[in-house]
Amino acid sequence: MQTVSQRILDILRFRIAIQTIKDYWKSTLILTLLFSGMAALYAGMFPAFEEMMVEMGESGALDSFAFIPGYEDMASYVGFLNMEMYQIFWVLILGIIIGFLAASSIAKEIESKTIDILMSNPVSRKQIIIEKFFGLLPMVLIINFVAMLTVMMMTIAIGEDLNFWHLTLTHLISLPYFFSIIAIGLFISTLFDEKMKASVVMMAIVVAMFIFDSIAEMIPDYETLGLISLKHYFKPYNALKLGQIDATGNIILILVTIIALIAAMFYFDWKDITF
Amino acid sequence: MTDGLKKKSVKCPQCNHQFQIMGKPGEKKIVTCDHCGLKGYIRFKKTIAEQKTQSSTPSSHSYKDAIQVSHLSKKYKDVIAVDNISFKVKRGEIFGFLGPNGAGKTTTIRTLLGFLKPNAGTALVGGLKINDHLVDIRKKVGYIPGELALYEHLTGKQCLKYFSDIRNTDLSLLNELQTIFELPLDRKIKTYSRGMKQKLGIVQAFMDDPEIVIMDEPTSGLDPLLQQKFYRFLQNEKEKGRTMFFSSHILSEVEKICDRVAIIRKGNIVALERIEDLKKKKGKKIRLKIKESNEKLTSFPNAKQVNGWIEFVTEDHIDETIKKIAKYTIVDLEIQEFSLEDIFIRYYDEGEDN
Repeated sequence: MQTVSQRILDILRFRIAIQTIKDYWKSTLILTLLFSGMAALYAGMFPAFEEMMVEMGESGALDSFAFIPGYEDMASYVGFLNMEMYQIFWVLILGIIIGFLAASSIAKEIESKTIDILMSNPVSRKQIIIEKFFGLLPMVLIINFVAMLTVMMMTIAIGEDLNFWHLTLTHLISLPYFFSIIAIGLFISTLFDEKMKASVVMMAIVVAMFIFDSIAEMIPDYETLGLISLKHYFKPYNALKLGQIDATGNIILILVTIIALIAAMFYFDWKDITF
Repeated sequence: MTDGLKKKSVKCPQCNHQFQIMGKPGEKKIVTCDHCGLKGYIRFKKTIAEQKTQSSTPSSHSYKDAIQVSHLSKKYKDVIAVDNISFKVKRGEIFGFLGPNGAGKTTTIRTLLGFLKPNAGTALVGGLKINDHLVDIRKKVGYIPGELALYEHLTGKQCLKYFSDIRNTDLSLLNELQTIFELPLDRKIKTYSRGMKQKLGIVQAFMDDPEIVIMDEPTSGLDPLLQQKFYRFLQNEKEKGRTMFFSSHILSEVEKICDRVAIIRKGNIVALERIEDLKKKKGKKIRLKIKESNEKLTSFPNAKQVNGWIEFVTEDHIDETIKKIAKYTIVDLEIQEFSLEDIFIRYYDEGEDN
């Protein structure tokens, strides 16, 4: 029989995590290219948009973006990046994609019935959840890092003013946001035996959280609605513009990650795997 | 063998002189021929049991029965799939688990491996309880799923490498298995035929030299030639001391390769016998037509009517039977030797009538 330390060593070999990384390397590559491309495009487009944004700001047209934090500052480079790139592409679109992939990861093994042969090897179900989680992290890290470098290079190329430390900070604090999405996605994935169902539910959750927080931003009466949204705890504008990080928000995101992972581990451990 | 020493006869390759040496299992010994003085190495082979004793603590190996199922029940919502079954699989035997589709074979197997949680009862696999030692159980067990699904995007080799990595072993047995099953390991699994996939399933189950192999209808998808090869392979593996649990709905293959068989029907074990004993249960199958109305023949409670014929099975008392039916006007009569197939069917019919 195995001792606890042997079991931990077994998990630390991360075989399932490594296989997950291998399985997703193509998706990682494509998403990295896509999001870096978007980052380059938005940063590079700013000079062309600047004048229009200033005019929009003066005429009050920007007020229609009031659901996005930092909208008032859209005519500046930082404000523009925050709005176009981080709020939309990062929080919403990348959030949806990562959530989609995470939610499919366990359900697809059950749907395709490969779970039987995987679990006939000496792994526990809890270990599968942990390893899948770690296997999905590199994707987020790579997309983040490459997109950050792209923004830096584009900023230098167009000669705009941007605090690179603030930029790094923005990308760093986006990690807990995506970790929590992966963890919730994994939990959703254990609830369904069909990957499409799990993924669609997870997408709906990410979109719903975006909408909740947007409503909370616009209508003060509904401020509490934002509290149940993960997006509420990740504010790229404050980091990008002022270098401020919301410590409580980050801790909440990390706690959500841990709780969702534990929930996924226990639920998956408890459930019957039926075909 | 209390001191673990083993005797071995060796033959000198140079002068053909035969002599005996002693050594421990797994020991590599330098041997000098006392006739011509030639030196060489001899390695004492280990049995599977001995190999495993070294890699794990003795407690995990002191089990008597390879699989011991006690009062196991499994329900899906309202349907009882497995109903309070108990049986034992002895170490080193090939145990057949026979039943039609939907009888509860797969449910039992998937419960033993921990994919399903039993509603009641428990089981020991390799001496370990399925409720809390699943990872340790899976270390000693190889498994061929009934609905075999593999990672289609990987090549055969990558897939096997993945599993051996999880098991933290190398692919040392792969060459041996590959000479038997000849798989296109460098091709992606999605290009494999059904038979090839099944062979890959077999290879992965035996690759880690497991003490126990649980197979859920492993011959489905294999052509007759491969099936024969597989039966020979299982016999060979049995000689190495491996325990094999084999589910099937085909009686003839169970008859051919298994030592003992449990017959499962609607979630219940209706028979558990040695194949030899089962075969000894000879009897005659009697089919007859009588002039009187069929309902009048009442002395045989298990008689059935099939297309106007009355059919029943009698075990030993052929004389008694003939005298009983002699009371009627017999239009036609057939007496057949009772095959294992008939025994099998009878178990099912009896259950059906109840």
